[in-house]
Amino acid sequence: MALGADRYASRADTLVLLGCLGLSLAAMSLPPAWRDPVASAMRQTILAPFLELQRESELLRTSRSRFDAITAQRDSTALAATFLPELRAENQRLRGLLGLGQRLGSGYVPAEVLHQAAPTDPLALVVSAGRLQGVRPLAAVVSPEGLIGLVSTVDARTSIVVTWANLEFRASAMAADGSVYGIVAPHGTEGPGVWLLELQGVPYRQMVPQGTPIFTSGLGGVFPRGIPLGTVIGVAGETEGWERTYLVRPAVHPSAVTHVMILNSGRSAGDLHGAFRADSVPAGGGAP
Amino acid sequence: MRRSDKYRFYLLLAFLVALEFTVRSRLGDERAAPDFLLLALLIYTIRAQPGKAAAAGFIVGLMRDALTPASFGAGALAHTLVGYLSAWGKAVFFAENLFVNACLFFAGTWVRNLVIALASGKLRGGQLGWELLVWSPLQGLTTAVAGVVVLWVFRRWVHVRVREA
Repeated sequence: MALGADRYASRADTLVLLGCLGLSLAAMSLPPAWRDPVASAMRQTILAPFLELQRESELLRTSRSRFDAITAQRDSTALAATFLPELRAENQRLRGLLGLGQRLGSGYVPAEVLHQAAPTDPLALVVSAGRLQGVRPLAAVVSPEGLIGLVSTVDARTSIVVTWANLEFRASAMAADGSVYGIVAPHGTEGPGVWLLELQGVPYRQMVPQGTPIFTSGLGGVFPRGIPLGTVIGVAGETEGWERTYLVRPAVHPSAVTHVMILNSGRSAGDLHGAFRADSVPAGGGAP
Repeated sequence: MRRSDKYRFYLLLAFLVALEFTVRSRLGDERAAPDFLLLALLIYTIRAQPGKAAAAGFIVGLMRDALTPASFGAGALAHTLVGYLSAWGKAVFFAENLFVNACLFFAGTWVRNLVIALASGKLRGGQLGWELLVWSPLQGLTTAVAGVVVLWVFRRWVHVRVREA
């Protein structure tokens, strides 16, 4: 087939280009209230088979490694099952005693992260669990290392997660011992501190040593208390003797996760400090 | 052009779309892995008129925007421009061989990421620098390599000359 030489852009081509550019600009200027339903409808119709294909592929990819892990877990579970009735009874007593009852009975929804080939992928992730799996908007999304972000949009089988890297992200935070409270936000996009967090609003008289692990405080009711956010690696700035801002190295980068756990809404008032590994937030603060 | 060639060409595009949603996540870092969806678009532009290429780019970009809502609309804009410029450029300027196509795949990926980064306004300063100077060139390179392999293996289906490369 002869290619090329006889096909320059005709007037019709130019009109199609201008039309597509106009529609693109219109899509960019859509307010979130209009944009999100359009994107959601596309994900649930045209893109649903592709997302299902990607989800199945992710499951297949991890199935081998999961098999070994599950075999080991099965052996451990068999051993633990010996003591299960006692543990269950003790749990029941403690739950009743502490009055937590049903609230701690709720758990989490596991999901695969369906990464996309776009530069803005780390700012908002697509995950393979949605309304049918029990995901609700504003649910906290975590990995074994720490907080990833929160659910912003929920479709039938997928959800959109706004990560901590998004400039709109905020989380109420505290030091591990509860001595310091502040607001954690993305550090911004300038300079060498890209992809770092910052702990804002710390009173000037309270020093936060380098290497201090930072967790969610549970204030505000969005994130449960005790989810690792990162580790303090230095002072980012201060406001005229009034407050200091600290740089925080995140516990986990959004583009590095393949699987996440979406916490049920019942978890938002709990304390998850014990649910995360002690080494999930690296101690000591090296260079970013 | 025979009708069977046409079907095989679209079969190849469908194969690339399937690769995007199945194999891509196994090819290393997400930011550097080849973009098979964009590759399908660029291969389509080899044979398409600029207007059709722009429309195809708009559809691909809008689909991608639905999956990355942080930059809704920017993907459609970027893919429209890349599709149109690729088809127009191939008609006006570019010779047709494997090396030129590889350069087209590399440049198309980089320009696509540049337009998305600028139009979305979400990446600035250091993030933008890293994206444009490190991750986008790497993704362009891997996409170009994948494109060359695809064109070589399926050269009879897409009618691309490879001997001048």
